[in-house]
Amino acid sequence: MNSALLIGVVASSVMSGTSLLYATIGEIVGERAGIVNLGLEGIMLIGAATGFAATALTGDAYLGVAAAALAGTAVNLIFAYLVIGRHANQLATGLTLMFFGLGLSALIGRPFLGTLIAGLPKLRLLGLGIMGNPLLSFDVLVYLAVPAAVLVWWLLFRTTWGLGLRAVGENPVAAVAAGLSPSRLQYQALGLAGLLGGIAGAHLSLAVTMTWAEGMTAGRGFIAIALVIFAKWNPLWAIAGALLFGGAESLQLQLQAAGADVSPFIMNMVPYLLTLAVLIAWGWRSQGAAPAALGRNFVGVE
Amino acid sequence: MQRDGAAFWRLLSAQAIGIAVVALIALGAFAALLLAAGKNPLQAYVDTVVYVFGNATGFAELLVRMTPLVFTAVAAALPARIGLINVGGEGQLYMGAWLATAGELALQNHSAFVLLPALTVLGFVGGGLWALLPAILRALRLVNETISTLLLNYLAPLIVSYFIFGPWRSPESSSYPESPAFVDAARLPTLFHSRVHAGLIYALVCLGLYWLALGRTRFGLQMRAIGGNVEAARRLGIPVMSYTLVVMFIAGGVAGLAGMAEVSAIQGRLVAELSPGYGYAGFLVAWLAGTGAGGILVMSFLFAVLGSVGDMLQITQNLPYAVINILMAGILFIVLARRPIGRAVS
Amino acid sequence: MARKLFFLGLILGALTAFFAAAPLSAQQKPPLVVGAIFVGSVNDYGYNRSMKDGLDEMAHAIPGLKLLEAENVPETAESERIMEGMIQQGAKLIFATSFGHQQFAFNLAKTHPDVYFEHAGGWMMSHNFGNFFGATQSAWYPMGVAAGKMTKSNTLGFVVGVPIGYAIGNVNAFEMGARSVNPKAVTRVVVTGGWSDKAKEAAATNALIDQGADVVTMHVDSPATIIQTAESRGVYSIGFQSITAAQLAPKGWITGLGFTWGPFMTGIAKSVIAGTFKPAFVREGLGQMMAIAPFGAAVPPDVRTLVMASADQVEKGFNPFTGPVTDNTGAVRIPAGQSWGGDKMGNFDWYVDGVIGKAK
Repeated sequence: MNSALLIGVVASSVMSGTSLLYATIGEIVGERAGIVNLGLEGIMLIGAATGFAATALTGDAYLGVAAAALAGTAVNLIFAYLVIGRHANQLATGLTLMFFGLGLSALIGRPFLGTLIAGLPKLRLLGLGIMGNPLLSFDVLVYLAVPAAVLVWWLLFRTTWGLGLRAVGENPVAAVAAGLSPSRLQYQALGLAGLLGGIAGAHLSLAVTMTWAEGMTAGRGFIAIALVIFAKWNPLWAIAGALLFGGAESLQLQLQAAGADVSPFIMNMVPYLLTLAVLIAWGWRSQGAAPAALGRNFVGVE
Repeated sequence: MQRDGAAFWRLLSAQAIGIAVVALIALGAFAALLLAAGKNPLQAYVDTVVYVFGNATGFAELLVRMTPLVFTAVAAALPARIGLINVGGEGQLYMGAWLATAGELALQNHSAFVLLPALTVLGFVGGGLWALLPAILRALRLVNETISTLLLNYLAPLIVSYFIFGPWRSPESSSYPESPAFVDAARLPTLFHSRVHAGLIYALVCLGLYWLALGRTRFGLQMRAIGGNVEAARRLGIPVMSYTLVVMFIAGGVAGLAGMAEVSAIQGRLVAELSPGYGYAGFLVAWLAGTGAGGILVMSFLFAVLGSVGDMLQITQNLPYAVINILMAGILFIVLARRPIGRAVS
Repeated sequence: MARKLFFLGLILGALTAFFAAAPLSAQQKPPLVVGAIFVGSVNDYGYNRSMKDGLDEMAHAIPGLKLLEAENVPETAESERIMEGMIQQGAKLIFATSFGHQQFAFNLAKTHPDVYFEHAGGWMMSHNFGNFFGATQSAWYPMGVAAGKMTKSNTLGFVVGVPIGYAIGNVNAFEMGARSVNPKAVTRVVVTGGWSDKAKEAAATNALIDQGADVVTMHVDSPATIIQTAESRGVYSIGFQSITAAQLAPKGWITGLGFTWGPFMTGIAKSVIAGTFKPAFVREGLGQMMAIAPFGAAVPPDVRTLVMASADQVEKGFNPFTGPVTDNTGAVRIPAGQSWGGDKMGNFDWYVDGVIGKAK
């Protein structure tokens, strides 16, 4: 394995894994509060389309990211209202959200199909790339990804807010008894999740491909949901997971370029097989990694 | 018995009116949205109604579209009755198609009397096995079936792609990756000189069996017991684990039949893009229908109509087909918002 | 009860309104209604764009012609549905522009003997079904010439969407063209597995550049992502499918291949109107259905001359696939004295010497 291949794989994995990381930590926040959002794919698509549209209209990619974050938050709050306010079934609502995102993003993105944008500029840390290699310079979202994961970890595990949120996810009745308001915390969690999901989508359209195409997330939202379990609902583990998955995705392309004989389809299976293997291993060892009240709608105390 | 019948019809008609109202509200809101975007949805709606109901071809298309939805809806509804969540219809469909294709390639030289039943069985088994894996994982308390079925949805199309690019690549069109065309004996027959095919009969039979099994057999009774209260059912001596495995296998098998019908009747070969989300749509159909057989029939029909509206919107109004998802999601959102608290659904 | 009646009335009223709205659109009868389906979006600077441009040219040439279009039509039974819908709307000529639409268009040709079909890239024919495409393989030879002259690293990169025979043939002609002016040139190939997966295309391009490629080209539906990625990494690019892609890479654009479907499509439409449609298997190359894109600013005049000379030779009938031709494992695939003609272009499952990659 020559050094060009190695650097190429690293750079590629980082680019690939960034949007996965944002989406995963967002979903972790939501699930820690007890709500699983199968519609993450839809949120990411809306983020990608909105971000692209805003960038195409204003010429400013950073504005695009902001727009994507806002759009993701807004749409996720619709989901939040249905699931928290109306006690709708989380899975069905999530899947509906996925379809909604597919359609809405197509509508938003349509006038901008084929528009050329400059995308998020690649920044160089301190004037050099990482380790002095110009290939390893990325856009701001990449640099902020790991700090974001650490921030979310800190929020969840080192603040009172996070403590309350996790309490709601484990045992909402006890949380109420402790004086917390589960619905308020869940709304906040889902708002944050939507923000992060929107950013995840924006990275795809504004940095990785610099274009918009219908359905361009290609299942990344679902991979993120699996990654949450892979990471045992811990944002720090999510970093490793996102890198691993981003790597698997890009490794096979890099290997092809280097002339190795790999079947793209077999290689593409690796991330999913890996997740499954890890899930089975986790299940074997520890039963109680998930928030206890995940997926159940809290209806209130008598 | 008679009292049950009357109550049943009242319930069904109340549900139907409720859904119709919701649909109309959503259609109206959607039309407003499109008008704001400068399009003419009313024309599209009219065109659709005319095409779909006033036209044999259009109606046939509706039935063709409806067929896989009935399959995948049953595939989601059946496990739901014992509290399992199967969102793996997509993958099970692909694996059913895959195994059926394997059978076709191996048994090509036989007559239709051998091929068609064989392919049907293989389609069922292919999907069934694909659902069995998550079932085992769930029964062993290792992995939640929601996630495992979801993940397997991604593996299945990759497996299919691997085969049609590799070992099953058609030599006659080496210019394009797909399996060789199915021999005529392996194709499900069509009905009434239209595109409606025998798969529809399969689907209706599955639906009928579903309704029958749940309502009229001991198997169904025990299933409903598990669905009501797992612990109590266990204490009654019902082998919950066996039911988990069997029910998931059957559910996967039904979805696998959808795949078999797709390759045998519609596509005529194994191709990479078999399903535009039938599995997920079926799950939503089942959920909307409250997992009742009659509801599944009505809902899959409605979804098929929505699909036709989408086609019309695209052809006449120059809108991307995906936009119909907004309409569908809108209807679903409204339904989801209206469900009363505490009502037992799935 | 009153509430139920109220709702029922509302429903009936809405239905009446819908039906009343129908006669609002009375239209003049056009000379021809043409339907066209695209596998992707027409704003792709690529294949679909070229089809759309051709159709627009046809519509322009025949006043009053009505064009029904549907984008993002998958290569599945869905396409049959869409085409059927267009026929119901009065279409008498259907262009099925992507390979995978073939079977479904053919099915409809059987059930609608009075509607005419033209399919791009396949081989099926019947009395109302014709087939057309550009003869792309030889046309890639001049592209190879351009790349061979412009490269400094002697490594060229080729992103392939789906490794079908025709695409592999394109890669082969490209490499052969490069070799003819630069014996040291090699081509690395990366397959993304789909005609249009933008994220993979970007990663594939980066992978090729990481391995040293300084000229990148492609056979995917839309060259946009690949060209943009190449431009952002500062390498040259050669476009394919549509000649409008030059604007994507102001610095790195060398040239490209594009399709010019307009004249052919106009001819077909006119023949349908006149009732003289004849099904045919049409493959036209440079000068007819294919054209070379304008050169980029970075291309020096001597290279331009060389490329145009090569293109001229191809137009006059030069076939790069004339033996002896060896594959990249050393085996002789086309013996001396033989050559592979247009009918064999779909049969490639091997790469020529100089291409780094596996075709199977």
